[in-house]
Amino acid sequence: MIKFINKYSDQINGYLFVLPAFLIIGLFGIFPVFFGMYMSVHKWKIFKGRFLGFENYQKIVGDIGSFWIFILGLLVMIASYWVWSEFKNKFSKKIYCLFISFLLLILSLFLINISWADMMAKGDKDFLNSLIYIFYYSFFAITTEVGLGLLIAFALYQKLKGKQFFQMVLLFPYITPAVMGGAVFFIIFGKAENSILNEFIGYFGYDPQMWLFDKRKLSEVLFGIKMEGFFAGPSLALTTSIFYGVWSYTGYYAIILLAGLSIIPSDLYEAAKAEGASRWQTFTKITIPLLMPIIFFLLLTGFINSFQAFNHILVMKTSSAGETMDVVTIEIFDHFWDRVKFGYAAAEGVVLFIILNVLAISQYVIFRKRLNYD
Amino acid sequence: MIKFNQRELIVPYIILFIVMFVSVYPLLYMVSVSFMTAGEASNQYLIPKELRFENYVTVWTSNNFQQYTLNSIIISAIIVIGVLFTSVPAAYAFAKIDFPFRDIIFYSLLLSLMIPEIIALLPHLLIIRGNIFPLPFGPSWMNSLQGLTVPFFGNIFIIFLLRQYIKKIPNELWDAARMDGSSHLYFLRKVVIPMSMPIIVTVSLFAFILAWNSFAWPLLILTKEDWFPVTVSIYSFIREAGTNYNLLMAASLISISPVLLLYFFTQKLFLESISNFGLKQ
Repeated sequence: MIKFINKYSDQINGYLFVLPAFLIIGLFGIFPVFFGMYMSVHKWKIFKGRFLGFENYQKIVGDIGSFWIFILGLLVMIASYWVWSEFKNKFSKKIYCLFISFLLLILSLFLINISWADMMAKGDKDFLNSLIYIFYYSFFAITTEVGLGLLIAFALYQKLKGKQFFQMVLLFPYITPAVMGGAVFFIIFGKAENSILNEFIGYFGYDPQMWLFDKRKLSEVLFGIKMEGFFAGPSLALTTSIFYGVWSYTGYYAIILLAGLSIIPSDLYEAAKAEGASRWQTFTKITIPLLMPIIFFLLLTGFINSFQAFNHILVMKTSSAGETMDVVTIEIFDHFWDRVKFGYAAAEGVVLFIILNVLAISQYVIFRKRLNYD
Repeated sequence: MIKFNQRELIVPYIILFIVMFVSVYPLLYMVSVSFMTAGEASNQYLIPKELRFENYVTVWTSNNFQQYTLNSIIISAIIVIGVLFTSVPAAYAFAKIDFPFRDIIFYSLLLSLMIPEIIALLPHLLIIRGNIFPLPFGPSWMNSLQGLTVPFFGNIFIIFLLRQYIKKIPNELWDAARMDGSSHLYFLRKVVIPMSMPIIVTVSLFAFILAWNSFAWPLLILTKEDWFPVTVSIYSFIREAGTNYNLLMAASLISISPVLLLYFFTQKLFLESISNFGLKQ
């Protein structure tokens, strides 16, 4: 017995050490997805009811066929990028490759458009709209965060006094709990006409706004055009929650981008200097190309992560903003918390999971070639 | 990279000052409002006429606020201890011990990062209510400390960070220790843990902040106020009609101060691990 233990001590210890973490992560991290799938095909109020098959899904997306066409459209869009990145240097003329990937892009937009219209006509409008809202949220939040983060990273990269201090302050918003941060934003972006923010924009000659209490679309607020549909943009209330996202994450991305800037080898710069390159040339020919993979990577992972935004949106939600702030996480939460439709909420969760996985595939396709200098 | 000369350095300074102002302004405003009278707060004064420290006393002594703060501290501390207890041995095993299927297990656990929290919440709720299988302590974990903490004991993100660090410890140390007849557990306790103290402190901070901020889960499983953490109590405070903003801000400020304080003392490690992790995800 003792001999046996000694001989296999590595194996036994290894499994024993991993076991507690494995059990808990397996139970609370991985098992829920499968159980969610199991729930989604049942009628499930508080307790399990009868087997429904795909009825819940039918209700959500209207027609399961058009949902798959929608997913296919997303995949074709990824393929269009893949064709461009893979073959642009292999064809004798770049123009062919560009043409093919452009065709694929048009095809994908077409597929997405018709399938979406079909789903909207037959499916659960609230849920589908919530997907659009979270798309707005993620898209605008992440582009602003990374863009501003880049600017800040450049600033921090200079030889400055008090750099450590600036970095510390930058991360304050990131560690502020979303509920408390949301509470302050709730006041600052309140509807009072004499609020600080409204007086501040008043200096620039703008009318006071209702911010979190305003469900008008951005296109109407900014340009006075009343529109419906995707291009109307997020409501002012949702935009305010985007401001919160930007406030809270920009510093985080700035720190990562700063690290990205500092791993660019300095001999590249010296070589460029020796060749007599101007500063602008150095910037566009060395810094930007070498930083591009990191920027793309952050945009994509950040986009996927922003799909899970929940806490601060729930805190900042007001009844007068109506459903325009019901992003997909809120919508799901609402279904199982307030309306106790467990099976239906689980099905919505699975739909979200499928979409997130498609986005993750795009991440894999774009970054399968590793960053070349780490 | 464009290096600015001395005179042009004014540009980055201006950028950073603006950013700094925007970053801290909401927090400063929180401080300012917390000292106002209710009237000043709802009229959105910039600064109070006089500092009303009574607000803090009112908040601290009313509405079980002390109880909520204590709850948050207990919950977060237990989660940190639990996470370290499962993660450190696991990270050590994944980094240094050679056993079959090690990498397969590790990567399949990493998949759990892909799963949105909102999808997991619902099955979690059923597990906690004891609907799926019987639970060890009591028939249901609703409204209980174990329900609030146990689901967060396993965190692959933290295991990942620890593993990266422990991997750098040279193998020769273990070879030498084994010659002297040391077991893995002894080696872990006496060599690995002391050597990886910086990363352990950092992940404890991560875990603490995560636990302190946790909101959706407590909101879901607590129907009685006994175990309310501060986040949930502040949320229900916001939802009440006719809320006094000055008291709300005082409460918020009290409840973020532990996090800010911890961050202040460990910021250097925190910054380093963010810049390392962000690029290697």
